Amino acid sequence: MAEQKPLEEIRRIIAPYERVLLLGCGTCMTVCGAGGEREVSFLNSALRVAQAKSSDGIHSFSEYTVKRQCDFEFLDMLVDKVNEVDAILSLGCGIGVQVVAERFPDMPVLPGVNTSFMGMAKEWGVWDERCAACGDCRLAETAGICPITRCTKGILNGPCAGTKNGKCEANKDMDCAWILIYKRLERLQQLDKMRRYYPPRNFRVIPRPRRIVMKADVEPGEDNG
Amino acid sequence: MDNYQASRMREASRGRGLIPPCQVACPLHMEIGEYVDLVAQGKVLEALQVIRDGNPFPSICAYVCTHPCEDACRRSQVDKPIAIRALKRFAVEFGGDRMIQLEAETTQSEKVAVVGSGPAGLACAYYLRKLGYPVTIFEAYSELGGMLRVGIPQYRLPREVVDTEVQRLIHMGVEIKANTRVISLDLLFDMSYKAVFITVGAHQSLRMGIEGEESPGVIDGATFLREVNLGLKPSLGERVAVVGGGNVAMDAARAAVRLGTSKVSILYRRSRAEMPAGPDEIEQALEEGVETMFLVAPTKMKRENGRLSVTCVRMELGEPDAGGRRRPVPIKDSEFNREFDTLITAIGQAPQISEDFRLRLGRGSTIQVDPVTLITNRTGVFAGGDAVTGPATVTQALASGRQAAFRIDDYLRHRYPLADKEAEETLSGELLPETIEMIRKIERLEPPLLSPEARAKEFKSVELIYNWEAAVAEARRCLRCGMGAEILFQDKCATCLTCLRICPYHVPYLDERGTIQIPADQCQACGICVTECPARAIVLRKPYDRRHIDEELEHALKSAAASKSKPLIIGFCCQYGLFGTGALASLWREGKAGIWIVPVLCVANLEEGHVLRAFEMGAEGVFIAGCGEQCSRENTAFWVLQRVERIRRALSQIGLEPERLQTFNLHATEGDTAEALDNFTERIGGLCLASVIRQEVKS
Repeated sequence: MAEQKPLEEIRRIIAPYERVLLLGCGTCMTVCGAGGEREVSFLNSALRVAQAKSSDGIHSFSEYTVKRQCDFEFLDMLVDKVNEVDAILSLGCGIGVQVVAERFPDMPVLPGVNTSFMGMAKEWGVWDERCAACGDCRLAETAGICPITRCTKGILNGPCAGTKNGKCEANKDMDCAWILIYKRLERLQQLDKMRRYYPPRNFRVIPRPRRIVMKADVEPGEDNG
Repeated sequence: MDNYQASRMREASRGRGLIPPCQVACPLHMEIGEYVDLVAQGKVLEALQVIRDGNPFPSICAYVCTHPCEDACRRSQVDKPIAIRALKRFAVEFGGDRMIQLEAETTQSEKVAVVGSGPAGLACAYYLRKLGYPVTIFEAYSELGGMLRVGIPQYRLPREVVDTEVQRLIHMGVEIKANTRVISLDLLFDMSYKAVFITVGAHQSLRMGIEGEESPGVIDGATFLREVNLGLKPSLGERVAVVGGGNVAMDAARAAVRLGTSKVSILYRRSRAEMPAGPDEIEQALEEGVETMFLVAPTKMKRENGRLSVTCVRMELGEPDAGGRRRPVPIKDSEFNREFDTLITAIGQAPQISEDFRLRLGRGSTIQVDPVTLITNRTGVFAGGDAVTGPATVTQALASGRQAAFRIDDYLRHRYPLADKEAEETLSGELLPETIEMIRKIERLEPPLLSPEARAKEFKSVELIYNWEAAVAEARRCLRCGMGAEILFQDKCATCLTCLRICPYHVPYLDERGTIQIPADQCQACGICVTECPARAIVLRKPYDRRHIDEELEHALKSAAASKSKPLIIGFCCQYGLFGTGALASLWREGKAGIWIVPVLCVANLEEGHVLRAFEMGAEGVFIAGCGEQCSRENTAFWVLQRVERIRRALSQIGLEPERLQTFNLHATEGDTAEALDNFTERIGGLCLASVIRQEVKS
């Protein structure tokens, strides 16, 4: 999930560049309403109004939306367009911006959105965080409710003393994740999972940047028998 | 070719629309959705143009069409069908149909004879003239029109209407030979006619086949109506019985009322539910004091003491017959006598075809033709109308005449007959209860009628015309079947579920393969998902509505730039209702300093880009005006305001005052839009001044 950066910020970061390509992303950024074709077009219109109403800087904008910015192959079709601009404002997530930058090494690539979290649509126009990508999933013990993201403190042995009427002390409109976990475990008749102590996690097992290798390390021509 | 081009353009604007059920049901396949939508925008001239493209004599249909379109209208699943015929009448009258003059050039040499001047004959002559053929109409009576003149009473179809159409045909160069009964087709070919269209109608009343049918005082419906319609006043006496339950029976009964008969009774052997006459006709007859005797059939008649003694038998309904109507069965020993002065039989009519024509006849002495080419057993002889189908409707006759004209053209040009129209996809399917529930119920507005007292005295037209507001309101009820949204770019669709979540009618759904489907038969074409789709993957099947906004906006901006009046204010106004009926149109006409109106086909179709474009091009203020509670939808205001909020946020980030964007009349009709608009203009003037001062101070 992400949201578009404020217009002032976008205008500031594109200021040095005359010709700017507004590059949308047709997958996650479309789904979360931050950087799909519609948002690219809105941003284009808004930037043009801003330019018309102030006298500083003459930009020309072009827009395009690729299916996904996070794979080089989708970016190959941009070569001609990129040759005609001075900078790319990517409305992809942080990954998209970096992949575009890597694909076009001579081109300044700027972020147009603030990539915020991994989550779900609560309803139309409302998104909630659900996963922190911690790399050490404990959802089996917590009845499918993640205390890392949904508890303000992210504690592994909750609830804390700040829970009141099922809500969190930090925000009385927010459900206490540990109360939710308790209720769901009760429903699943697994309350024994509440009675266990979970030791602190060892963050050293998660070295950054992370890499996942799925393919096996085999040599061509090597006999597997 | 102008018409052709116009219809091509319309085809393009209709885009990938599916043919709606009303158009399928219309014998002429008129573009009903199109002209109803134009009436809803108050564009009567354009509506009339669409109507004229699909119908040679719209003024006639406007009065007498039995509107099968309304029977097929899917709005009847929600509340009541759109009053399509009455809207056509409105467009015909307000669009100035009678002022239209038509010209036709003769480009072909083959002469065509049309035998009979009923609706089929007139339509055939009309289209043959348009195709450039010299045409002669032969009519046995002194006046043209066939059943339009001698069958349909004046109170349903004023004679001037038929006269106007006949005059128009004469102006188009159709040669008329009235008082000329054709006795031999060979003679016509000897007179160098290359093709003949036989459309002599079905004027011969069927006989009841009972004792005493020849008695004085018994008259058949067709003859009676002919006499009345030709201006004779047959004397009927005090008490009149009409036997039959069809439209001719209703016409005869109502004509008898107008001739001053004190008591008119309709004798029908089935019950009211089975009556073939139009429900409106029955209703209006009852209002005028016609008495009905259901499940009664005469068995014999005798003239006694100057009166007609009629023996009747009571009936009951038995098993359904082949046509699905329940067959009446006489009840034993239920005979009774009634006395009348006159009895009018109206139990059906058949064509009467001269044997000298040497045409092969079929069931009910109708002419046998090939259904596609309308050609008879004789070379170069075509037939259509009631003479082929038996008694049918005016619109069916017009369709048959048009078909004949095109097939005669094929025949004379030695072309293989082409199908009338390329098979286009039609919209079928019932509305689901979930969809119906979400559709705003809006009462059908009937056109006003003359009071029963006023109309029983004379033969004046019973039905009056809508006024402007009523017509626009009625037309807006149209559900725009077949014009809905579709995911045109499946590859762009990110399956974000936005459309599924925001559709006011809960139409989109996820199929079992995880693909979003927007069923065309449920979509109400509100366009909200089209604007909200973050991937821009959805389009309306009628893309014109959106393109229209771009075009009108650019036009307004260009005009504004030329006029240089300040401050420039752009108003996006709903073209339905408010703009159409004139509340804002007056402001627009006065050309209030710097205000330029962009008419929008529903403000729910307005995109943020349109508003931002106006600001970009120098607008100091923008307003969006809806049509208030006239809106045929519930959610328009919500979605307009969502977009307004986004734009205001962007404006304030740019350093413009958010109040430069204003909305009017979105939820409900506000007291005085003009005053509110004046205030808005003043405020924008103030903001303008302030920004100029700021600029000065800066520099």
